[in-house]
Amino acid sequence: MATDRLGEARARFLADLAEAGSSPERVEQVRVRYAGRRSGLLRDLEDALKALPRDEKPAYGKALNELKRLIEERLAQAQEAAEAASRGAERVDVTLPGRWTALGTLHPVTRVRREIEEIFLRMGYSVADGPEVEDDWHNFEALNIPPDHPARDTQDTFYLAGGLLLRTHTSPVQIRTMETVKPPIRVVMPGRVYRRDSDLRHSPMFHQIEGLVVDEGVTFGHLKATLEAFVHVLFDPSLKVRFRPSYFPFTEPSAEMDVTCIICRGAGCALCSQSGWIEILGAGMVDPRVFRACGIDAERYTGFAFGCGLDRVALLKYGIPDLRLLFSGDERLLRQFRAGGGR
Amino acid sequence: MRLLLSWLVEHLDGAPSADVLAERLTAAGFNVEVREPSGDDEAWDVDITTNRPDAMNHRGLAREAAAAGCGTLAPPAAAVSEGAAVASALARVTVEDAAGCPRYCARLIRGVTVGPSPAWLAARLEACGIRPINNVVDATNYVLLDVGQPLHAFDLARLAGAEIVVRAARAGEALTTLDGVRRALEPSDLVIADREKAVALAGVMGGAESEIAPATRDVLLESACFDPTRVRRTARRLGLSTEASFRFERGSDAEMARAAADMAAALIARLAGGEVASGVLDSAPGPRRERTIAFALGRLDRFAGCSIPRDLTLRVLETLGMAPSVAGDTVTCTVPSWRVDLELAEDVYEEVLRHFGYDRIPAVLPEVRAIPGARQGSWPLTERARDVLASAGLAEAVTYSFTSVEAEAAAAASPLAVRGAAIELTNPLSARLAVMRRSLLAGVVEAAAGNLRRGAERVALGEVGRAYFARDGRHWEEERLAVVLGGAVGPWDAVRASDFLDLKGLVEGILDGLGTSDAQWRPATCAVLAPGQGAEILAAGEVIGIAGRLAEGVEALFESPSPLWVAEVDLASAGDVGHVSFTPLPRFPAVPSDLTIRHGLDLEYRRLVGAIRAAAPDWLESVAPVVRYRGEGVGPGEVKTTLRLVYRHPDRSLTQDEVNAAHFALMDRLASDLGVTYT
Repeated sequence: MATDRLGEARARFLADLAEAGSSPERVEQVRVRYAGRRSGLLRDLEDALKALPRDEKPAYGKALNELKRLIEERLAQAQEAAEAASRGAERVDVTLPGRWTALGTLHPVTRVRREIEEIFLRMGYSVADGPEVEDDWHNFEALNIPPDHPARDTQDTFYLAGGLLLRTHTSPVQIRTMETVKPPIRVVMPGRVYRRDSDLRHSPMFHQIEGLVVDEGVTFGHLKATLEAFVHVLFDPSLKVRFRPSYFPFTEPSAEMDVTCIICRGAGCALCSQSGWIEILGAGMVDPRVFRACGIDAERYTGFAFGCGLDRVALLKYGIPDLRLLFSGDERLLRQFRAGGGR
Repeated sequence: MRLLLSWLVEHLDGAPSADVLAERLTAAGFNVEVREPSGDDEAWDVDITTNRPDAMNHRGLAREAAAAGCGTLAPPAAAVSEGAAVASALARVTVEDAAGCPRYCARLIRGVTVGPSPAWLAARLEACGIRPINNVVDATNYVLLDVGQPLHAFDLARLAGAEIVVRAARAGEALTTLDGVRRALEPSDLVIADREKAVALAGVMGGAESEIAPATRDVLLESACFDPTRVRRTARRLGLSTEASFRFERGSDAEMARAAADMAAALIARLAGGEVASGVLDSAPGPRRERTIAFALGRLDRFAGCSIPRDLTLRVLETLGMAPSVAGDTVTCTVPSWRVDLELAEDVYEEVLRHFGYDRIPAVLPEVRAIPGARQGSWPLTERARDVLASAGLAEAVTYSFTSVEAEAAAAASPLAVRGAAIELTNPLSARLAVMRRSLLAGVVEAAAGNLRRGAERVALGEVGRAYFARDGRHWEEERLAVVLGGAVGPWDAVRASDFLDLKGLVEGILDGLGTSDAQWRPATCAVLAPGQGAEILAAGEVIGIAGRLAEGVEALFESPSPLWVAEVDLASAGDVGHVSFTPLPRFPAVPSDLTIRHGLDLEYRRLVGAIRAAAPDWLESVAPVVRYRGEGVGPGEVKTTLRLVYRHPDRSLTQDEVNAAHFALMDRLASDLGVTYT
């Protein structure tokens, strides 16, 4: 077909013009080759029109006009650019780095915390806070951990003068919330917590987020669905979740939630001690003794609570090997987490 | 806890495969964490929660396995055969402190031959992490691992008066324990004594003097029940945690105290020969008061969120030894003597749901009454501060809330820290983490110095967190923001050392972002900042922050290789999370006019601008610096400041003539008021 020739001519022209760049001489050569009055290709193509059978003429003529317009337009642009270049305008090395000041970054624990808060804010939870310097009542007794309870062994506590202590978990904020707010309660409580422990996997200061729901008719099934939804949004909806019975003095029944190991996807690796599962949080139905300590009617209301280590989630999510790196203030680490709350 | 598979299976009739057993125990709340070969057997590490001391032995865990559908619990071991001698004629047991010791049982075994245990028994103990000692002691440990009852064997000949007295320790009393350590006792300690002296720390450890020795012939075997709190306090005070104290602290079974005495006596007689005297010296032989828990099946379903089959509920409770009886919808359970953790209906729900399987409970998102969620307390303020900090180009750091006394005092030497005393930890991990910070600077300065020492060219860190104070007998927590800047600033082709104005610009940007736009800066002298290079930041007449170069002494304390510029802001007084409102755009053109003023260095910029504002018409819109010049043509002690003044009238266009008139009048006024020149 004759119009195929026009297509070939178009492609060849564009390639030649690109190659000519902003050199005025080479742009002129391209002009002569394609649009020269005497021997340009356009001229030849116009001549070919005359020789075509009548029924092919309209289509060919239309395509030829379009090609002509394109060639004229592009040549004009190229000539203008070539002129500007020949006027001696300095060429910018666009590959040099720009002048700018680095963007700030949010700490990995802040990022993970916000991500988790957003998940729960969307489900109608509020975000509460409470003091880090606590009393024994809120940190232990009201949570059904009386003095001399063995559970105190696992929460080695920093004490301050006057019987005060540094909170060993965010759970005291549960108590403070229930002491001041009437059900229905839906709240998450992130913050710093302290335990007298320091090694590769323990830091004397770390972060937790605690959640509490109190209402009429709250069931264990609600707890499961809520926490499944949480890890599916936080990590990945394809993660499998399992609940194992466990023990916390302030929940009854208590559970630990495992998710498929995010490294090996359940095949077994060093991170999950070959089990294919990693423990992600502790949870349970609020123990009626805790309700009673806070003046909430345990016959009328049920509830669930959960707690999760934010630092551990940050380590898992970003593949950071050592907990203590998080608190070193090392900018080589911190600057890897660019601003914004994204994933 | 370490367990042996073969031993566990001995307690089960019709046990399934090891894999099924491990899987079902894990699902029922006994996480089988490690399984490893041990000879032809398998050794397991099972995570048993602290509320379940009854399951911290082979038989107890087998009972759980049975409830989890792994066969049935085998009948208990056969009874002991007794000789003719009567125990009560040979020894005496008196419990003086019944609160500390609800039950004390003793058996006598006479004529034993102490020697090594048979290989099978030694191997079992070793596989479970207990060192074999001799056949008598090993028998007690075997029964401990088998049924969970801690026992102790005394050499009867070493007990003065062949007598056991359970009592509080006497003031000044001491005891050398089995580990050879001489321990001073306190009246809060519960001891086992003979007629004259303490011979064992009740529930914690035996005494060296009365221990089973090669020459021992007659054994008094103790199988008792001690108060958890008493055992725990003594064990903690002495820093001793033993197999016995670990279990007693969590609660023990008064019925098992009696049964285990028989089991251990029979085993000793089997391993070491001798004859078990007839009868048990039992301080509390009567029947125990039984506790019951009743619950409604319907409420269990509502609690779970699904229907739990009634026959499963009853089977589980039966297998766990809770003898359920049903009347209508109500189930009444008897709490077995070994279950110290069961008290409320919810405790029973857990038993049923564990064995029903948490994974079988359908997950259903709650239908909730909509309440909009919100960030509460100080979160709106601190989150805004973090965003501002990051938009100012800083890397957000998180540093410890505690530091050394020395670093804390150095960092807190500013007007922001006079708000109270530092709070000390009574049991710090180390001197480096001994006191709660009253200033965030200690942490970020340490971090910045670390970055510089690692060779970082530039450091720009910030932190949002709390400072802690003691005042008026209370503690206070304040939200703060801190900034540290060090090394170089500027783009790659215009790099220079950071200085005060870099810091100030950063802090002004942050304050602006926090909602404080009218902050005043004035020179400050405080120990944390270098003299002549520090400022206090005020808003509404109150100090809300400090900024400046870190004092050299403090720099040295934190081993910073180069100068650091630091600032700290009290967020509660600087932050204003109120509304932003729109100011209408100007409708008339602006007339800019530059003014170069030569003046002494002692004329503060703030005063100069103040004088301009006072002398200019109120349609002077803004004053901003363009250049500060010192050098050729400017005398020492002088500076040339070029300012850009922008005139704009809100209601009409200005003419050049009226701007000129105002501008020249202003210049004359400055010359006469401040003595400045314009050459």
